[in-house]
Parts: sequence; structure tokens; C-alpha cells
Amino acid sequence: MSDNIYLPWIATITEVRPETADTSTFVVTFDDPQLRESFTYLPGQFAELSNFGVGECPIGIASSPTWAGSLEFCVRAVGTVTNAIHDLDVGDKLGVRGPLGNSWPIEEIEGKDLLFIGGGIGLPPLRSLIHYVLDNRERYGAVEIIYGARSPQDLVYKQELKQWEEQPDVDLYVTVDAGDGTWDGPVGFVPPFLREINPTPENKVAFTCGPPIMIKLVVEALEEMGYADANIVTTLEMKMKCGVGKCGRCNIGDRYVCRDGPVFSFDQLRRIPGALEA
Amino acid sequence: MERKKLQKSDLSRWLDRIAQEHELIGPSEDDGVIRFQPVESSAEIAVEFANSLIPPKSLFFPAVESLFSFHKRGKDIELEATEPLDRDRVVFGIRNCDVQSLSLLDYVFGQDLEDVYYQERRARTALIALACPTPPRSSCFCTTFGIDPLSSDGSDVLLTDVGDVYLVDVVTEKGEGLVSLAEDLFPGLTDDEARQLQPRPVEMKKVDISQLREKVEALWEDEYWHKMSLPCLGCGICTYVCPTCHCFDIVDVGSTLEGERYRCWDSCMYSDFALMASGENPRPTKRERIRNRYFHKFSTFPSRYGSGYACVGCARCLIHCPGGMEITEVIKDILAKESISE
Amino acid sequence: MQDRLHDIVRKLLGEGTIEYFIGYGAGSEPHRVVPCFVTSDHEVERLVWGPLCLQNLSKYVLQAKDLEGKAGVLVKGCDTRAIVELLKQHQIEREEVVVIGVACQGQVDPRTLEEVLGVPMEQVQGVEDAGDQFVVTIGEDERTVAKEQVLLGKCLYCRHPSAFEYDFTLGEIVPFSIDAGESEFAMVEELERLSVEERRAFWQKQFARCIRCNACREVCYACYCKECIFDRKMPRWLDKPPLLSENEIYHLIRAVHLAGRCIDCRECERVCPMNLPLSRLYKKVQKDIAELFDYEAGIELDEVPPLVSFELDDQDPFM
Ligand SMILES: Cc1cc2nc3c(=O)[nH]c(=O)nc-3n(C[C@H](O)[C@H](O)[C@H](O)COP(=O)(O)OP(=O)(O)OC[C@H]3O[C@@H](n4cnc5c(N)ncnc54)[C@H](O)[C@@H]3O)c2cc1C
Ligand code: SF4
Ligand code: SF4
Ligand code: SF4
Ligand code: SF4
Ligand code: SF4
Ligand code: FES
Repeated sequence: MSDNIYLPWIATITEVRPETADTSTFVVTFDDPQLRESFTYLPGQFAELSNFGVGECPIGIASSPTWAGSLEFCVRAVGTVTNAIHDLDVGDKLGVRGPLGNSWPIEEIEGKDLLFIGGGIGLPPLRSLIHYVLDNRERYGAVEIIYGARSPQDLVYKQELKQWEEQPDVDLYVTVDAGDGTWDGPVGFVPPFLREINPTPENKVAFTCGPPIMIKLVVEALEEMGYADANIVTTLEMKMKCGVGKCGRCNIGDRYVCRDGPVFSFDQLRRIPGALEA
Repeated sequence: MERKKLQKSDLSRWLDRIAQEHELIGPSEDDGVIRFQPVESSAEIAVEFANSLIPPKSLFFPAVESLFSFHKRGKDIELEATEPLDRDRVVFGIRNCDVQSLSLLDYVFGQDLEDVYYQERRARTALIALACPTPPRSSCFCTTFGIDPLSSDGSDVLLTDVGDVYLVDVVTEKGEGLVSLAEDLFPGLTDDEARQLQPRPVEMKKVDISQLREKVEALWEDEYWHKMSLPCLGCGICTYVCPTCHCFDIVDVGSTLEGERYRCWDSCMYSDFALMASGENPRPTKRERIRNRYFHKFSTFPSRYGSGYACVGCARCLIHCPGGMEITEVIKDILAKESISE
Repeated sequence: MQDRLHDIVRKLLGEGTIEYFIGYGAGSEPHRVVPCFVTSDHEVERLVWGPLCLQNLSKYVLQAKDLEGKAGVLVKGCDTRAIVELLKQHQIEREEVVVIGVACQGQVDPRTLEEVLGVPMEQVQGVEDAGDQFVVTIGEDERTVAKEQVLLGKCLYCRHPSAFEYDFTLGEIVPFSIDAGESEFAMVEELERLSVEERRAFWQKQFARCIRCNACREVCYACYCKECIFDRKMPRWLDKPPLLSENEIYHLIRAVHLAGRCIDCRECERVCPMNLPLSRLYKKVQKDIAELFDYEAGIELDEVPPLVSFELDDQDPFM
């Protein structure tokens, strides 16, 4: 983070990988070579990306800190800034302000089995941790990934899904809400799919990210399966501007999601009035 | 702390002396509205006033300010941070409620990732507080929040009107510097004077708020917020005139070739304040928005920063709300609630 | 009058005809009268009526639509113009709301009263109507001031809808009449006499002071759009920072949007914390509409607003 917390760093887009019709991965490298070395972050942190003249918006860092040199962001075009980012190409500049927020609890979960449950564009924030875990394989237990999207076209990271599919130390389960001619895998929503797979809660921490309704039903299912609230961890989305706990926008109770989050466990959330209302 | 006196008739001489060295800022009237603004000379300053409409927070956290400018040259982009100040400033006439509001804003901007714009303005600004007239304006209720309108806490110099003279409390080194600009205007007090020249005590309605946080927290789900929010129009007055409100937006103005990134005041009372691109809004109606405002003042701010309540009882919101929302009444209502209603 | 108001509201609530009544209530200090939402019998006593009932409560009728049950509202004759327009603009249906009209003898402009008496409003304990004067209580004293000196600007040109069927009336609802001394458009004509540069300088000075708190928009009966053009992000018409350029656009666009709809309630000017002389802007718009189309908003229920009607043989090829 720069000393002036509002001043972004300039980075160049080195690669744009379309993931779905409205979502692409942007690989970026800082222009300042020193920064390329010194910039560190943790899985689960995010950055405010700028397309100058249009604005800034918060995007999770989808790459793993174990990879050197560049950062990846998976951006879905939904509004002003995200669309303006999609207008950019390889060689264009972006502003990057970060890293912001807390992170997935990488130390607390050492030695544990890990269950990842993602929906749609909810996979990128989990992906950072998944790769971090796979790159530090000896420190963590089994890895199970459950992922779903509306249609086969809406699955992101199709390459990596294939790779994880083949990887012996990863159990991958993928579903789509509605299949098509190309799809011969499971069809159905994530929560019932999760119940079907029924992963046991012993020595396990579950991470989930996706649309609010999916998270709600996933958490209900996990609780019924015997997961303690403390072992269910999510990353929240709230409208943000400053990203540093000052502009007053993203609070739930007395916590600013940008500063104290975005990662929270469900037992934390249960103690914050209104956090689980929506 | 040292106590001196200043003849009222000498005030303008002192202020004009200060204006030669620093940027002088004081309450001054413009189209019927008093605000703290830079002035050329003491003549523009209003000395007889209850309080400014726009709180002096605007001097540290302006309604709109440029954070940096950007210029595109080919593919390259250059950023240039905006300098918040070009010279040191002296603010005359700030009331103690507003001084205390700055210590509350310090929690937000001055720690845990410091805001350099606010911090630089704070560091380079001296505060000459002016104790409130006694009796103060009838709506004021700062004492409810433990604020003494005659206290010098947080200011560099405090002036208290005791008739023909001001008592001058020189609180800090910065304050000493200002007084020394016109040393001869500030004789010390004789023992007799020290005894006789005393500010008139302030009488103000005061409410016991020791239970406020507990009580408001118990009301999260209460129907109360629905009914009380009905007259609210969802404008931003209460938050813009509030010396402790600190919410802002960040907006680019210009083209993608060049322009500036601005920060400007924003308000949790606006319907789109927390509205997300997806259309989801965690505070979809006035009920949730008003509740957020009072919770922020009475529960979440103190809880987050371990501070006192985030209201200094200046009564600005109450005086200017077009919907007639009166924070003093809200406090009474909250305190009167026995328990969460079913 | 207040007693009769209480009786009517009690009855309406008691019978279940309305769930809410929107009237005026006493604020925490005697000089402050606030909008008051009454839902139960024991709250009815809070309703007041007098010369400090400034707000045009019609705006609240719009939100009452989203609440359960029907609402009742107290309106002065001038406020009824907003009801008439809301009906014409199809924002409410007549049977959705119970309208109680109250005979008004002019309302006090607090800012002017402060000036005329040289006393801040907070020392005013009460204002009573006494024919062509107001009696103002300040501490132990009672002072009288001539109405024309301290009335709200609009009261000098009080205008009511010509035929409106109130559900109830308190007193006879006729326009209050007083000799204003000058034409209602005098403040506009004064500006029109200036050169373009001078006029521009006048408004720029004012617009520069605007903090864009949005109160003028939020209080305006006619600003009911689900998504206001100023809040739109794509495309973005207006940047949020209250810079002069943006403030100008804000005020000019709003003025144009109000053409033919502004009912001269001057609520925008009254609530503006920065004291912008907004009624001059809106008076200008009213004047132009009157001159171009011989039309005044909020007066005739069946007169079509000029800017929403069109004729097939219109000379202007714009559309
Ligand atoms: C911690 C965090 C991580 C995120 N990670 C990703 C990600 O990896 N990929 C991705 O595609 N999206 C992500 N989002 C959502 C993304 O921030 C919004 O889709 C984006 O801000 C919309 O901006 P816009 O300008 O296109 O939309 P507009 O509707 O035009 O929004 C205008 C501005 O409001 C704010 N805003 C609006 N919606 C949101 C929102 N949902 N969350 C936060 N700020 C908002 C932004 O400052 C935005 O620039 C994340 C959100 C958060 C809070
Ligand atoms: S000033 Fe009053 S009407 Fe405006 S948002 Fe605040 S409470 Fe609501
Ligand atoms: S009285 Fe109102 S404006 Fe003043 S500090 Fe308290 S909340 Fe803010
Ligand atoms: S959240 Fe609301 S009450 Fe709190 S500082 Fe921001 S605008 Fe003020
Ligand atoms: S009420 Fe006044 S200050 Fe607020 S936006 Fe309107 S003109 Fe500007
Ligand atoms: S613009 Fe002002 S005067 Fe005209 S209707 Fe709206 S609030 Fe009333
Ligand atoms: S985004 Fe500003 S406080 Fe969280």
C-alpha cells in the first residue's frame, strides 16, 4: 500500500483471458520494477482497480502470492468501471490500490482438510487460496472443491478445472444449473449438489463464495451436516469506495467489510447485528 | 496552561497580525449563511454568532477535494497527488463541540491507515476556540455528551467572553506562538482579576445517556425505526451539517485522457449509498438508513474506536432537517424503551 | 380548528378508513413545527395547526402509497396544487388518499421574522394569527408584526386550485389575499433586466455555494422519479462532486424538468440550508410557461400540462 492510501500504483495489462461472455481474467504487472519484487499480499485480499477517468472498484486478487511477478483479477462486466476495464487491452494501464482487507485464515487452517464451495464468479476469490494451498501442499490436508455455475458457458477457469479434475490430491465436483449439448456432468444447484456429496465435517474447514442466496443455502446445508459456524468461512461483498475503512459505506454492524473483512467466519457474522439479514 | 486577557477592542488587531503570517480562517457570513472560510482581514469575521451552518470539519475534510490528477501520455499514465495546503492556517472562532468533533474524526482519518490529506491539514492548522455565549443557543445539547462548551480541551488557544475582555487560555505551543505575534496585547491577570473574571456557568438541558448504547443496541429489530423514519425525506442535510459525519464518495472527473480524482461528501441517508451494481442494497429503505445513522452515532462508532458517542450535541441536524427529525427526541425515545418490543 | 382536526382524524383512524394521518406536530421547541405521522388514537393530540405549518405535506402522500393502508393528509390551499398535479401526472389516484383542506391565513417565513424582529427563532415561543398581524411571543413579551412583512413569499400571491373536492375542510378554503405591492414576477424581471454576463455571475455565485445535499430535490413534490437522472451511473449525466460546473447542470436540468409542473410552493428554497434563492429560478420557469402556454400548474384538474401534450400539426419539427 502506498503511503497515500488513495494513490494507486500503475500496472500494465500483460494478458486478457476471456472466461465467460461477460467475465475475463486480467493479468497485470506493476510498472515499477521494485514494486514487482516488494508487493506482497495474502490470499483473500483485494485491490481497488482504476480505469482513470471512469473510476475505481474493488476486485479480489485471484492469483496466489506464491506466484511471482504478476497479479490476476477476474472481472465481470456489470457496471461503469467493470465495463471500462473490459474495454482495456494488453499493453493498457490500470491503477491498482492494495492489497486491501484481511485474508483467508491461512495459518489457522494449517493441517486441516479444506472444502471449497463456489458459485459462478465466486470461484476467483477461492482460487487464490486453492493455489496457495496446492503450492504449500505439505501444510494442508485434503482439498475438495465443489463448483457450480448457471450453464457450462458460465464456468470460469475451465483450463484449471480440467487440471484439478486430473490432479490426484484434489477432489473436484462441478455442476451447472442447466446443461446443454456439450455438458455430460451433473446438473442442479450447488446447495443440493453439496448435500448429495455430503462431505464430512471432521477436521475440516469450509470456504464458500458466490451469490448471496447460494451462500445462504450452502451454509444451512453445512450446518445440518454438522459443520460448526467457526469452520464455515466466507468473503462478503458490499458496496465499497475507499477500501480502507473511512468512507463509511461498507459496514455491517461496527465492522467495515473493506478493512475488517472481506473474510468472515459465520460465528463472527452471527455476532454482528444485521450481518445475516440480507 | 497560561491565562491572559485580551481587550475585545484588540481582537481585530491580533487577528490581522495573524493574517499577515498565516492563512486566517473564521466564521463569516455569506448570503445569510455562516461558514468557516478564509478571510483577508478580521473585518470579514462574524464574532457574534451561535455556530456556523457548515461545521468546521469542512476545513479538514472538505465537501469536495481533489486527491490527485491523472494525465495519459501515449499508453503511460502519470499521477500527481494534490497538495492539500499551501500554507499554515489559523482557525478563529471554533466552538468546543466542533473541536471535540475533530478528535472523533481523528479516530477515522488519523489512525489505522492514515489519511494524509486530513492529517496534513490537522497538523498545519491552529485552533483558536471561542467559548460559547452563555446561555448558548437553546437547541444545543453538548453537555449531554459530556462536552463543556467553555473547555479549552483540544484547542490551541481559548477565548472566553467575560464582558469587555476575553480571558485567553494559551493551551499549546502553537497557541503560544500565536499569542507571541502580538505579545503586548495579552497582559497577564492580577490576582483580583483572576478571581473576578470568571465565565458565566452554562445552563443546558442535559440527558443521562449512560444507557444509550445498550438501549439502542437492543432496538435493532424494533418497529420504532419504521415509524420514526416516515418524515425523513432522504436528503443529506443531517449528515452534511454534522461535524462528526465522515462518509464520502470517490469520483473521477474528466476524461480517460486527463482529469482528477475527487473525494466528496456522501451520506448514508441516500438511497444509492450502499446500492451495489447487482441491484442489491443492504439498506433498502429509509428505515434501515436512519437506523444506520443512529447506530453509527451511538453504537458502532464507539464500539469500533473505543471512543465516546459520535455526536457532540451541536444540534445542527435538528435545526436544519426538513423532515423535522430531532435527534434529542430520538435519544429520549431510545432511552424510554424498556426492552425489545415483540 | 385544531379540535375539529383531532375529531376528524380520530374518526378516520377509528373507523379504519385510514392507517396513517400526515399532519403537523409540535417540535421539541415551541417555534418548531414538524411533519407528524399519526397512526393511533393517543397520538392525535400531537397534531397542531397554526402559522408555522410551513411544510407542503403532499410529498409524503407518494410514500404513503408504499405503506399498508390508506393515508390522510392535511393540506393548505396552496399545497393542494401538488395534489392536483400528482393526480394529473398519474402518481396517485384520488381514492387512495383522504384529503383534509385547512383554511390558511398565511404562513410565517422564519428567516424573515428573525430579520424583522432582530430575534433568533429559538427565542420565539409562539406565533398567533391576529387578522392582518401576527402576534409573536418572545419570553414574557408579545410583539405584533404586520403580516405582509413576514409572510412566506408565496403567501403574498396565494393561489388555490379552482375546483378541488376535499374530503373534509377546516374553515373555508379560499385564497388568502393581501396586497403584495409588486408583481409576483418582479424578482424575475429584476434579473431579466441584467445583462447576460451579470445574470450569469449572479447565478454562478449562488450555484457555487450549493453543497448538493439534494434537499431541494427530495422535498419537491414533483421529484418522484424512481431513478433520478442525477443518480444514474450509465450513462452518467452529472458528477457527484459539488463543483460549480456540476451544480449548474444540476440546477438547470432540475429547472427544466419542473417546467409546467412547478407549483410555486417554494419548498426547495425554504429547506435549502445554504439559502440559495431557488424560487427566483423556478419563478422564471413559471413565467416562461405562463407566457408561452398561458398555463399555470396545479390550478385546473382537467387542463393538460403543456409539455406532455402534442399536436400532430405542430410547427416545431423537433420530434
Ligand atoms: C471485496 C470485494 C471483492 C470483489 N471481487 C470481485 C471480483 O473478483 N470480480 C468481480 O467481477 N467483481 C468483484 N467484486 C464486485 C465488484 O466490486 C463490483 O461488481 C463492481 O464494483 C461494480 O462496479 P461498476 O463500476 O462496474 O458498477 P456500478 O454499478 O457502476 O458501480 C459504481 C461503483 O460503486 C461501487 N460498487 C458497486 N457495486 C459494488 C459491489 N458489488 N461491490 C463493491 N463495490 C461496488 C464501486 O465503487 C463501483 O465502481 C468484488 C466486490 C468486493 C466488495
Ligand atoms: S436531514 Fe432530515 S429529512 Fe434529510 S435525510 Fe436527514 S433526517 Fe432525513
Ligand atoms: S447534534 Fe446532529 S449534527 Fe450535531 S453532532 Fe450530533 S448528530 Fe451530528
Ligand atoms: S454512516 Fe451515516 S451517520 Fe455515520 S458518519 Fe456516515 S453519514 Fe454520518
Ligand atoms: S437544498 Fe440547497 S444546498 Fe442542497 S442541493 Fe439544493 S440548492 Fe444545493
Ligand atoms: S421546484 Fe420548488 S417551488 Fe417548484 S414545486 Fe418543486 S419544491 Fe415547489
Ligand atoms: S469501502 Fe470505505 S469504509 Fe469500506
